Amino acid sequence: MSPIIEVENISRSFRSTKKTQGSWGTWKLLWKPEFQVREALKDVSFTLEEGTFNGLIGANGAGKTTLLKILTGLIPPSSGKARVLGLEPFQRSFKFRHSISLVMGQKAQLWWDLPAIDAFDLLRAIYEIPSRIYQERLQTLANLLDVSKHLNTQIRRLSLGERMKMELIGAILHWPKVIFLDEPTIGLDVLAASKLRDFLKVFNAQEKATIILTSHNMDDIEKLCSRVLIMQSGKLIYDGRPAKLTHEGERRLKVRFFEAPSLQELQETTGIAQDLIECEHNQDDRSFHFSLKQERIVSVLQSLLNKYHVIDMGIEEQSLEKVIQRIYENELSGTQESHFKT
Amino acid sequence: MHLGWRWEALKNGFRDATAYRVEFLFEILGSALVPASIQLVFWYALFKVGGSQTIAGLTHADLLTYTWVSMLFTQVRGGDHDFELQELIRTGQLSQYLLRPVGVVEFTYIRGLAPRLFIAALSLSAGSLIAFFLKLSIYKIFAAMTLALLGNVIHYQIGASLATSAFLWEEAYSVLMIKNMAVNFLSGELIPLNLFPESMTWMWKYTPFYLYVYGPTQYALGRWSDAEFFHALILALLWIVLGFFMIRLSWSWGIKKYLSLGG
Repeated sequence: MSPIIEVENISRSFRSTKKTQGSWGTWKLLWKPEFQVREALKDVSFTLEEGTFNGLIGANGAGKTTLLKILTGLIPPSSGKARVLGLEPFQRSFKFRHSISLVMGQKAQLWWDLPAIDAFDLLRAIYEIPSRIYQERLQTLANLLDVSKHLNTQIRRLSLGERMKMELIGAILHWPKVIFLDEPTIGLDVLAASKLRDFLKVFNAQEKATIILTSHNMDDIEKLCSRVLIMQSGKLIYDGRPAKLTHEGERRLKVRFFEAPSLQELQETTGIAQDLIECEHNQDDRSFHFSLKQERIVSVLQSLLNKYHVIDMGIEEQSLEKVIQRIYENELSGTQESHFKT
Repeated sequence: MHLGWRWEALKNGFRDATAYRVEFLFEILGSALVPASIQLVFWYALFKVGGSQTIAGLTHADLLTYTWVSMLFTQVRGGDHDFELQELIRTGQLSQYLLRPVGVVEFTYIRGLAPRLFIAALSLSAGSLIAFFLKLSIYKIFAAMTLALLGNVIHYQIGASLATSAFLWEEAYSVLMIKNMAVNFLSGELIPLNLFPESMTWMWKYTPFYLYVYGPTQYALGRWSDAEFFHALILALLWIVLGFFMIRLSWSWGIKKYLSLGG
């Protein structure tokens, strides 16, 4: 199967003015502006297969949205090549625009003062969808997302969740082959987010659409994506299954003591850094979680059993959320986790 | 040319503009009455307070007639959809339009055109009444409205081209405001352009702005011959062709600089 998205050594930099603080900075900006160049993407390469559901994650400023903008043809790369459906995105050919869709959770695409049904009618005309097919799709999508009764309500009068669902309907009414979703569940309550996820899962499975999802919500990634790409400071540092990420990472060893030792003591006994030891404050302050590699579990347990009275223990899989959190923390502290890249 | 989406965009544009009926009504009345009131005060000061008999060969009655008839065309000359384009560029909202299989400049124009067409229809109804009372030719008013509508196209084309400066400077609001101020003055919606001294007529003759209000008003009042009107009509069409290329050039240049900021 040939890839539907091919990204080859893409880099992208942005030039912007640099303003120093205060009034002097304002004057300087007026008369002699200084510029700074920021590299948003650095030599990124990957391919994605048709019909897959892919997660694109990374801390703020990691380059996710820049990558989406290049893949949707909004901006060109500074160097490297991208091809979506065999087409160069920045040329934005008619065929390309007919075959893709971008949903940005933070940007409304529908007409604020009109009911969604009017906006959908316009989209039907834009994408030249035959009336019968349009009606079928609209009914299916509105039922799946449970918004049939809101189709005639002015968009501005809908709740955030209902609005997001309408945005999603508007984005996929033309049955795109590739869908880019940028934070689709942002601001949604648990129920609305769950419904949206269920819907995306069904749509991906039934229509074989290739979906690329960026989200800070690890639930979205874990529940939907068969593959995850992690960006860090403009570089792609992981490309693989989410499960592999957690398996390859660390285990969580949970130990409950008869008397709680201090973190300092635990560090000295096990050799595990204090920031990898977590006390379960909200439930039982005698329970601790140790994040560690699988091969160290036995030796750490032995040293704890030798020194303390342990009343319970267990091994848990590391949650994706925690693994990602660690990667983001490393990004902030400047540590590169390039060993993740497969 | 496929009319399907254009017709739907026009319908939605009208629904959108009239979503708030009172606001829509005030917009029409306000933008018609304010320039008219300025003119009326001006004529009163010159003729009643200043004691003038004629100005540039025009009597008080001539100028009052100009004011009433020019109101029919002032409303048609253009909306603010060029401002909307610059705002789309500045905020990055342009992205969503760029991904649709329609031209963003054309789409924005059609969406904003709907209320103008509605106003043109209202103006023609009012024009029929004015024609009856002032004994003007109804055909000339209809023909003049055609010229005013072509002026609407030119006005947008110039605005859409200027809006591309937002690709470079991120903000084109002032550029468009300056253009609008020049249009207010040089289109004839504030004063008839034949009040300009002979040495300064170049100021409006070399712009297309006089085709928006002054030209249609002069023809509707019977102060332009048919030949002058057709000359203006051909000029308007030439400006539209020029505007088409201006847009193609400025947008193909600007879009390469687009950063799609804001998300």
